[in-house]
Amino acid sequence: MQANPSLVLRGSPKVSGWRLFLKTIVARAYPRVIGMQREKSWLFFDVFLPMLAVSAYVFVYRAIGAPEEYVGFVVMGGAMTAFWMNVLWSMSSQLYWEKEQGNLALYIIAPNSMMAILLGMAVGGLFATALRATAIVIVGSLMFNVTYSVASFTQLLLVFFLAMTALYGMGMMSASLFLLLSREAWHISNLAQEPVYLFSGFYFPIKSFNFWVAAAASIIPLTLGLDAMRQLVFPSGASLGFLSVNVEIAVLIVLCVLFLIGAKFLLDYMEKLAIREGRLTESRR
Amino acid sequence: MTHFAIETKDLSRIYKIRGNKKEKQIRKELVALENVTLTVERGELFGLLGPNGAGKTTLIKILTTLLAPTSGWARVAGYDVIQHPNLVRPRINMVSGGESSGYGLLTVRENLWMFSQFYGMPSKEANQRIVELLKMVGLEDRIHTKSSDLSTGLRQKMNIVRGFLTDPEVLFLDEPTLGLDVGAARDVRKLIRSWLEADKSRTLLLTTHYMVEAEELCDRVAIINKGRVLACDTPANLKRNLQRDAIFEIETSPLNGLTPQLLQNQPEVRKAALTDIEGGARLELILQEEAALASVINILTQKNVKVRRLTKREPTLEDVFMDLVGQKMEDVEKEEAPHAG
Amino acid sequence: MNRSETTRSFTMATWLGWQVESNWTDPFLFAVYVIIKPLASAAILVVMYSIITGGAYNSPLFPYIYLGNAFYTYVGAVMAGVSWAVIDDREHYKTLKYMYIAPINIPFYWLGRGVSRFLIGTVAVIVILTAGVLFLNVPLDLTQVNWGLFFVSLVIGVTMLAMMGLILASITLMVAHHFFLIGEAVAGALYLFSGAIFPLEVLPAWLRPVGYAMPITYWLELMRRSLIGDVAQAFPTLAQYSNLQLLGILLGLTVVFAIVSVFTFRWCDHRARELGLIDRVSNY
Repeated sequence: MQANPSLVLRGSPKVSGWRLFLKTIVARAYPRVIGMQREKSWLFFDVFLPMLAVSAYVFVYRAIGAPEEYVGFVVMGGAMTAFWMNVLWSMSSQLYWEKEQGNLALYIIAPNSMMAILLGMAVGGLFATALRATAIVIVGSLMFNVTYSVASFTQLLLVFFLAMTALYGMGMMSASLFLLLSREAWHISNLAQEPVYLFSGFYFPIKSFNFWVAAAASIIPLTLGLDAMRQLVFPSGASLGFLSVNVEIAVLIVLCVLFLIGAKFLLDYMEKLAIREGRLTESRR
Repeated sequence: MTHFAIETKDLSRIYKIRGNKKEKQIRKELVALENVTLTVERGELFGLLGPNGAGKTTLIKILTTLLAPTSGWARVAGYDVIQHPNLVRPRINMVSGGESSGYGLLTVRENLWMFSQFYGMPSKEANQRIVELLKMVGLEDRIHTKSSDLSTGLRQKMNIVRGFLTDPEVLFLDEPTLGLDVGAARDVRKLIRSWLEADKSRTLLLTTHYMVEAEELCDRVAIINKGRVLACDTPANLKRNLQRDAIFEIETSPLNGLTPQLLQNQPEVRKAALTDIEGGARLELILQEEAALASVINILTQKNVKVRRLTKREPTLEDVFMDLVGQKMEDVEKEEAPHAG
Repeated sequence: MNRSETTRSFTMATWLGWQVESNWTDPFLFAVYVIIKPLASAAILVVMYSIITGGAYNSPLFPYIYLGNAFYTYVGAVMAGVSWAVIDDREHYKTLKYMYIAPINIPFYWLGRGVSRFLIGTVAVIVILTAGVLFLNVPLDLTQVNWGLFFVSLVIGVTMLAMMGLILASITLMVAHHFFLIGEAVAGALYLFSGAIFPLEVLPAWLRPVGYAMPITYWLELMRRSLIGDVAQAFPTLAQYSNLQLLGILLGLTVVFAIVSVFTFRWCDHRARELGLIDRVSNY
């Protein structure tokens, strides 16, 4: 039989290294972006409804006669929960679905990095997340007349960037659990919602906690990120801050390094362990 | 660079089976692979033939870096799969039969493009190849269909294209034609042959439990059962050992309690297998001498079993399997059904 | 309606739901898992309250918020339980199509799948209430509880929640598998309108009618009244209604929601089959 000419591979060689890393992020983000375009129901469930849920906490403060800055705290906390949800549901838990569906094995045998796959999932969901966060800030601010007074835009952007880097690093670290576990890890993710809302101070300043509780809660990057952002954005924020903004920035830098290195190490380690234990392709529903 | 695309030495894998709540303390072990030593040359189409649960998929998982062996080693494209998985992965790809991978909300083209990017293919080239490969398997008219809207067989075709798309040095196809209709399976076999012919350095390892497929496609075949490789050679050589023997197929009336064992006890009857058919039975016999047929007919007559049809035929891989294992593959599958893997 | 089919669907789904919910870990870890989430939710409100009021737990507002939040646990549990079954069966276990072709009653099957979350929710409610009484001065005196009103309200309320869950499950049939939980998102949003954690008067006037149209509002009021009658009546929202009137409203709205749920199910079921959505896997 004549060899089919189209089966002879032509063209440029495949890329590797950082270019493959970027390509992988884009490729895995693609289904998310396209999926959201094709199934727009997320707009209602993931943007509109959470906005209502956040408002409920504002009205609790109104009911108990809280000072107005607390309303701003809730709005900002509510906006930041979107990022935590993105890490929990679109990155960590998503691996559970990928495993059950058989995609995880294909990701592993491909020459890409698992970190790139995870980042791709998160980046793909980031549009929804950013929209949700922005909607909460804008509508919350307009509805409840929140006033802002930004002390330093540079510091604000820096804190946000550091908090996000550390947060997604931590998300990747926890996602490594899914290489080994399946349904158990999904439940752990599910469990990490309300307790994190509580200890990260999504709806109140963490200064209200005992120092050691607040210090322990600072391991979650959003805790200090949120605290620093509130200090930088609200006039009375500084007086309710846990640590000074500069100290919080320093801790966030440490967390970034820690979580990114930890994520790389844990993903590699868990992959090896899962390969040894035969967990990558099993389906324990 | 080694000329072997795949090498394994004393490869074993034991699964620890976790019991349910009541049996938590009882740790069972299942030997999925036992001392498998194989070599596959570059450019070869190598078949792993065995019943469900024989260990074929376990072997593929080890070779594709998804599972570590309990002992022994394996190299693919010249690299150890455990020590250097990152060097193996750019050189391989895998397709499993009946898999549901991919994203339902993406179209066929989008799914395939996405996977090509994980291998670092330039987008333009990937898109061109997607069209060409889809044409070859007759799926080009579904290129813009969401994969959730494809039938099982068409989704399987999409996955087969995914495997070929990245042009791996070594491609692993695990039961690729499972669930495909005759025409689709033929398209896939044609694609496999064309792909190998287009570049002689490409290697393909195929697992199947369809004898005809292995016989038709493979340069060499390893027959595997209960985790062990029983024989490994070209289909012609494997059959050659049986060509000295006489192989008969006899259709009879109901056997009235006659068992294959009783026939096998006869001198010069090497193997006997029995399949129930409507209104009677079919006996498949491997005889050392044609003359032994007389004693078989004698026994049938004594048991009042009537011979309806008698055929002598050339050996097939099915006969080779029966000769090696002592049972037909479908009978082994019936026995092993609870331990598939 | 074929009674045996209905019963069979419900009981089989209840058993299945319990297996799915509970058999992923050992009983101790499961028990911890069951109570941590709702306790953390309650703790958020307690901390918010104590920061602002300096720990004035004796104000009637505190038990109002605390009890409302405790029983709201049921809203999330039942709504998420019933609606999640659709996604779980369709996209994960891929059994929805087999359930559909089996001789079972699908709505009752979904309701059964929600029972395990309801039971888990009950444990959580009891734990939250106990913690409130022991540590936060929630004035709950078991000898003063109007048990008759409590159980009648609970039964009607749970039925109402099941109907709302059914509406959501039907809608879920039409929706792709998103990476967040639809049931929890809806329950979170209804928090705003149900007077669970603040009296409806706190809402802007234009939003209040939504709260009055919500059966959850009346149900939570009845639960508060049955447990701590005097404190509950300290708020004007529904003070003009007697217990019986509230029960009547709750019952009426439950019937309305039941009717809506039947029509929603019929419509969504029809559309889902028309569009071929019963066996899709929409993961993205």
